[in-house]
Amino acid sequence: MAKDNLPNVSRREFLVRSAALSGGAFLSIGVPPALMSGAAAAAAEPATAAFTPSIWFTMTPDGTTTMHIVKAEMGQHIGTAFAQIIAEELEVPWSKVRLDMPLESVEDFAVYGLAYTVNSGSVTTEFDRIARAGALGRIALTEAGCKLLGAQMANCHAAEGRVIDKASGKSVSYGEILQKVKLDRKFSYPNDFKQVKLKDRSKYKIIGKSVPALDIPAKTNGQAKYGMDVFLPGMAYGALAIPRSRYGAKVQSVDDSAAKSIPGYLKSVTIDDSIGKCTGWVVALAETYPAAVKAARALKITSDPGPHGSLSLDGIMEDFSERLKRPEESAAWVLEGDVDAAMPASEKQLEAQYTSDMVCHATMEPINCVVQHASDDSWHVHIGTQSTSFLRMTLTGYLAKVLNKKPEELKVYVHQYLVGGGFGGKQDYDDALAAAYCVKELGRPVKFIQTRESQFATSFPRTPTLHKLKAGVKNGQLTAMNHDIVCGWMGPRFAVGKQFNNGTDWLQLDSVDGKKADIDQWSIGGSDHWYHVPNHRVRAWNSDKTTWSVQASALRTVSNSYNMFVVESFMDEVAHAAGKDPVEFRLAMLNGKGGNRGIPNTGYPAGTPSDYYMDQLWISLPWPNPDTWPKYESGTVGGALRLANCLKVAAEKAGWGKKLPPNTAMGVALSSAEERQSPTWVAGIAEVTVDPSSGKYRVNKLTIAMDMGLAINPNNIKAQIMGSALWGASQVMSERLTYKNGAIEQTNFHEYQPIRQVDVPQFDIHLIESGRHPVGVGEPASTVVAPAVANAIFRAVGARVRHMPITAEAVLGAMNKKTA
Amino acid sequence: MINLKVNGQSLLSDAPPDTPLLWVLREELRLTGTRYGCGLGLCGSCTVHLNGQAVRSCQINVGDVGAAAITTIEGLHQAGAHPVQKAWVEIQVPQCGYCQSGQIMQAAALLAQNPNPTDKDIIEGMNGNLCRCATYPRIVGAVKRAVQMMKETNHG
Ligand code: FES
Ligand code: FES
Repeated sequence: MAKDNLPNVSRREFLVRSAALSGGAFLSIGVPPALMSGAAAAAAEPATAAFTPSIWFTMTPDGTTTMHIVKAEMGQHIGTAFAQIIAEELEVPWSKVRLDMPLESVEDFAVYGLAYTVNSGSVTTEFDRIARAGALGRIALTEAGCKLLGAQMANCHAAEGRVIDKASGKSVSYGEILQKVKLDRKFSYPNDFKQVKLKDRSKYKIIGKSVPALDIPAKTNGQAKYGMDVFLPGMAYGALAIPRSRYGAKVQSVDDSAAKSIPGYLKSVTIDDSIGKCTGWVVALAETYPAAVKAARALKITSDPGPHGSLSLDGIMEDFSERLKRPEESAAWVLEGDVDAAMPASEKQLEAQYTSDMVCHATMEPINCVVQHASDDSWHVHIGTQSTSFLRMTLTGYLAKVLNKKPEELKVYVHQYLVGGGFGGKQDYDDALAAAYCVKELGRPVKFIQTRESQFATSFPRTPTLHKLKAGVKNGQLTAMNHDIVCGWMGPRFAVGKQFNNGTDWLQLDSVDGKKADIDQWSIGGSDHWYHVPNHRVRAWNSDKTTWSVQASALRTVSNSYNMFVVESFMDEVAHAAGKDPVEFRLAMLNGKGGNRGIPNTGYPAGTPSDYYMDQLWISLPWPNPDTWPKYESGTVGGALRLANCLKVAAEKAGWGKKLPPNTAMGVALSSAEERQSPTWVAGIAEVTVDPSSGKYRVNKLTIAMDMGLAINPNNIKAQIMGSALWGASQVMSERLTYKNGAIEQTNFHEYQPIRQVDVPQFDIHLIESGRHPVGVGEPASTVVAPAVANAIFRAVGARVRHMPITAEAVLGAMNKKTA
Repeated sequence: MINLKVNGQSLLSDAPPDTPLLWVLREELRLTGTRYGCGLGLCGSCTVHLNGQAVRSCQINVGDVGAAAITTIEGLHQAGAHPVQKAWVEIQVPQCGYCQSGQIMQAAALLAQNPNPTDKDIIEGMNGNLCRCATYPRIVGAVKRAVQMMKETNHG
């Protein structure tokens, strides 16, 4: 990535430089100031004059096209997908395509918008506008090339980086055009943008092709660069002493007399935690990292454990049970028909209680960064993060506070690197704040790396959950369903700005029960499934204590990862009670009627997830005006019928109903993660063998059918599906994080065990291209595995386990209960 | 001063002898392709070769290396074109990439010792290397492809 050799250079300088290097000509398409609100336009004005800077790509006269990727590259190969989309419309040869990652700054935020990589949303939200950007580039080049050739526009078209005149047969390359002509073609927003005609999908040459990912070669030869691979002159190292509590500890004293005997030890810094981040953090600084780690372990720290110091997982689960007794404190998320009336009117009722444990991201790359306070007074963070923009904003606010300055006086830049695994675990930024505070205290650049132990201790887990479900069955059909969910809500924690901005409720939706209470979609989503159930209610309780004590956060598919386990397990329980085959039972409810039709083709504004309103943060910053973008098609178009189709494909391919060896069975589950308004349709079938004497089980095979609308890169999509499905397998089989006396108990990979090579099942993956808008593929498959495995275990040996993870003991216990 | 033989070069380290080799390679010699994942020999991210054997560099003190030849991912092949590396690109194994130096070094040592591994040999031989992106199926596929490539060069 180009930025490795361009430290501390702003985007604009980069362009000037590349222009000078390449002979003064390059093509780029910028967002005109008109697109932005007042302050943003002012900030962007100098940056968007004429053709600089490009926000999506830059083409140089040698014909090389560099795609600027504002999304984090964390294993999903998003840069390659974006480049395929742009290159397709721009008509550049794939061999000439390169990637880079722009610098995150106030100025560029106004141009690029929010750099934030979550929700499997990158392709969904960007596809349309980057395709249009590519198409406009092609038009500008075609017009210029046509003039050079002295041809008629009607006879000219572009292909493979050349403009071709059909009449004369002559052609000119994009590179030559850039050398000979100063392009000065302006397009209007939003009209030209909206009106440009995109290619018919049948004409695609690059989209839909499994081109090799551009970031892969560097990941096989040691050249790939992550945040901790940066070296700055005079740099010191920082390691975190494990805080007394996961959250809320207050440092009272630090005794570093033992640390002082460690060669290279510099000092220890108690991090300013007044904005509620890095609570109880003490960082040891040293000349080398091993010395910093040793010193961090040698520090004798006394801390007040804070408000959660005696809380444990048991206490959290008790709190959940207590809350469940108080329906008046719940907020309704789904309210269809009349559950209270329909339940007694049904022929058969069943009730079940489900729970799920905490898990954490445990990315192979522990969180790390290098922070520098440069001689021109600007601040630089070198990091691989999912929250590029939020990190900059929060750090700006934090530095303003600890330096006693105004945010506007600070120049903060985030240099984005590869992310060594994200999964939602790299969207917090305590590490960068702590490192910056150390830089302020030490007066030298600092490389901060979490040890695996401090990483576990400060992880941002998925909340534990408690669910109570009730179903009413009549005539073999599910007529009433109630789902009560208690857990820690992550939304309120993300809204750090709340504390600075007089308690606004950004990130929270309104409940549908007339109370208009806050409700956290990221903790409840997934319970709003696509089955037709005439009387359906979901109620949610927030355990604020849990949110803050464990620092509940988003973990791959967010709430779907537990809600799909619960909903899909329970659906099998209901099917069983109704005497129906689980596949038939589901298909009957996936009729695509009413609310499950999907949103008609009205669409969403591109590129700007409507749920995030950053101006609610304490630093008010420019924000592109969402109304000016063309709308893209909603992923919900087609609704539940698309899910039914996935189920049919998976069942057929897996040979659903075929005879299997003893203690072996198939289980099925469906998912529409990520959110109700941004579904990827997926069906999964797990074939599982259980050893009835021990309760141990093995997942033999996973069959997965996914409808992602349009497959940008099928080979990569298969990799994403395998990886995410194994993530799901790992969660159901072995991952468990526990919490005791205010602290997370696990310290390393002997105590927290993600799936390894020996437990990998066979795969059979089917991509369904329904021709609809492309949606995310990196997460959804993970949600079908746990319930499909649970359902398979039940069908194999009759053991219904209502807790995730599913341990061998639990299977054995459930089997004994059945026979008792 | 400790004299180290790294990727065919003689290099000096002034780290205390009890420093894990991993940190000398990464931070002092700036061979950053070797990655830190756990520091306890549990994940394999830090795998390098010591006289051709795959070892966890977080578990070896720099003072104990002696005259042994160290090979890191950067030195596996001067053009990054070891059959395992080529197979890794062809099969498109890496996702986030962080564990992959270790996976490749582990696989290369495995094949040097056992050029005809069974599926079971591969799975067991690679089991110590965690991959949180779970690129496991492709790792097995790529090791098999590397076996093929190595045979082709030997016979060609
Ligand atoms: S870092 Fe050495 S095995 Fe994990
Ligand atoms: S590729 Fe991400 S950890 Fe292995």
